Amino acid sequence: MIKVLFFATIRDYTGVKETGAEGSRTVMELLLNLARVYGQKFTEEAFEEGGISDRVIVLVNGRHIAHTGGGDTPLADGDTVAIFPIIGGG
Amino acid sequence: MDNLGKVLRVNLTEGTVRSESLCEKTVRNFIGGRGYATKVLYDEVPKGTDPLSPANKLIFANGPLTGKGAPSAGRYMVITKSPLTGYIASSNSGGFWGAELARAGWFMIILEGKSPKPVYLWVRDDKVEIRDAGAIWGKDGHEATDDLLAAVGDGQAKVACIGTAGEQLSVIAAIMNDKTRAAGRSGVGAVMGSKNLKGIVVRGSARPPVQDAEGMKAALASSMEKLKTNPVTSQGLPTYGTAVLVNVINQTGGYPMNNWQGAYFPEADEQSGETLARDFLVKRYSCFGCPIGCGRVTKLGEKIGEGPEYETIFAFGVCCGVARLEPIIEANNICNELGLDTISAGVTIAAAMELYEKGYIRKEELEGGPELRFGNGDAVTYWTRKMGLGEGFGKKLAEGSYRLCEMYGHPEFSMTVKKQEMPAYDGRAIQGIGLNYATSNRGGCHVRGYTISPEILGLPEKLDPTDIESKPAWVSIFQNLTAAIDASGMCLFTSFALGADDYGAFLKAATGFDYDGAETLKAGERIWNIERLFNLREGLDPLKEDTLPERLLKEPIPGGPSKGMVSRLSEMLPNYYKYRGWDEKGIPTAGKLAELGLN
Repeated sequence: MIKVLFFATIRDYTGVKETGAEGSRTVMELLLNLARVYGQKFTEEAFEEGGISDRVIVLVNGRHIAHTGGGDTPLADGDTVAIFPIIGGG
Repeated sequence: MDNLGKVLRVNLTEGTVRSESLCEKTVRNFIGGRGYATKVLYDEVPKGTDPLSPANKLIFANGPLTGKGAPSAGRYMVITKSPLTGYIASSNSGGFWGAELARAGWFMIILEGKSPKPVYLWVRDDKVEIRDAGAIWGKDGHEATDDLLAAVGDGQAKVACIGTAGEQLSVIAAIMNDKTRAAGRSGVGAVMGSKNLKGIVVRGSARPPVQDAEGMKAALASSMEKLKTNPVTSQGLPTYGTAVLVNVINQTGGYPMNNWQGAYFPEADEQSGETLARDFLVKRYSCFGCPIGCGRVTKLGEKIGEGPEYETIFAFGVCCGVARLEPIIEANNICNELGLDTISAGVTIAAAMELYEKGYIRKEELEGGPELRFGNGDAVTYWTRKMGLGEGFGKKLAEGSYRLCEMYGHPEFSMTVKKQEMPAYDGRAIQGIGLNYATSNRGGCHVRGYTISPEILGLPEKLDPTDIESKPAWVSIFQNLTAAIDASGMCLFTSFALGADDYGAFLKAATGFDYDGAETLKAGERIWNIERLFNLREGLDPLKEDTLPERLLKEPIPGGPSKGMVSRLSEMLPNYYKYRGWDEKGIPTAGKLAELGLN
């Protein structure tokens, strides 16, 4: 089981703070599966021009997917995926 | 240069006030605010001056943009020699006070000497009075603000003042303006208290002039477009405030827990921006001229307050092992009222908790107060109040964690750099911010060079937080640009959307000088170097002090997504010095100083 955590405005689109996922082998596959479940607003936030949008931060076990292969980042049982919108602070 | 405002020089010993003109060359080279005031301090406060003596100077400095048409341009700086670090204190604040000072026709106030009795300053346009503050000395900042506005008979005036912490000369005392905005760090409140100065009340009636109104308009249109489309400035910060960082920093495994004994907090969501927005938020707060509006007006029970910010949630929350927001909000409100730096206060309490749990502070010393155990929210609020009032054991805590831990023979529990408490990011998980902490001119500080932006948020580029090769250059550039932004009077948060060219355009419009992106960065680098020169003259030993606590260098993070990591500072520091054009001992070379015109 892959644990998927949603934060900030992403929670508004999913209605839940977390969910479990089975069978997704890459981050891209997972996001596509989530988009099917959570609908249009989630899809619009997560994707852009066929790829994963710059408006979301996706971490796999704490690592940003930009440094682990982007959408091709492999997923395994027991992984935690955290999805955030771009946010900021001090 | 008079269209930028004049300099008000106040001698509190003699009770005199004098108006001076700005030096054009200094504005050209150091911009204003953080830059100009540091140059003044460097020239006028001799080596070895006791920070709490009359010989230290306390400078309130606007930038050329403060109070004018640029976005988020309400910022001012407080510059002095710090009683906490012994080095440059350079504290930034927002709200409305700085803009009012600009409307009154002043660019900077230099406070010298020490008043024989408690006083406040009443600045109404060009009329300046030093008035007796005996009736309000001893009051907290909120009461004092109300009393000062009543005393001057003008509810529209703006107040910057100290609370009881500054009067008690706590080295972690803040100066508060507009009740809830803080020039928080490095003990600037203590310097104000040491001069017997309770507050500065300002009222201005003019619209501050701009050198090139058309240029300002064009720069404004361009930058507003960027601010309105950038997701951080247009959505993230307005919706959740800085508190939105809690979950993302925690999920990265870099959220310092229990005085940096851990870096992943399973209960983090209880204190997140999401929870704050859902359970405690009343509305947003915006500083002067700010389209972002990241401030939080919150309600706890019947009490309305402002904040807490991400740093405050960390300091009183995860760093002390506390999960719930209620004690954090209460401690934040106490700090606003009594005038305390929330970061230093919380991290000091965390150090005390570690000392207590390990048996070095005895129960009897707490005089019946709540036990200093990680996770004890009552201890956080109780001891914060005692710290701010300087009462009982609280007086020891008000010395900050470095002096506290030294007193008990265990300096290794003080999570400080150059004696100033580190903020809310673990330098073991995030290498660049660790390098920034170690090299910041004012001690442990995140805003000197906020590399969290690229390392975690991916702006302007996505940097790997664990990488070390890229960090010396990025940290240096961020430090330089930030110095220029601080000197300009605009808020650092605009830099999520704007770049050096944008700031250059604003500065050119405001001053008439030929600033562009490159000149802006150069001025920032010059400011960074003069701060370094000030510190070196005061005895800074870079090889000993450009460092991090042993815990971050030697103790791997025990759990969470960044388990096993340590700071690789020693691998980054030599390249950082090299990039800056300093020698291998961290001293600016003659060539670099000549290049910057600092020789």
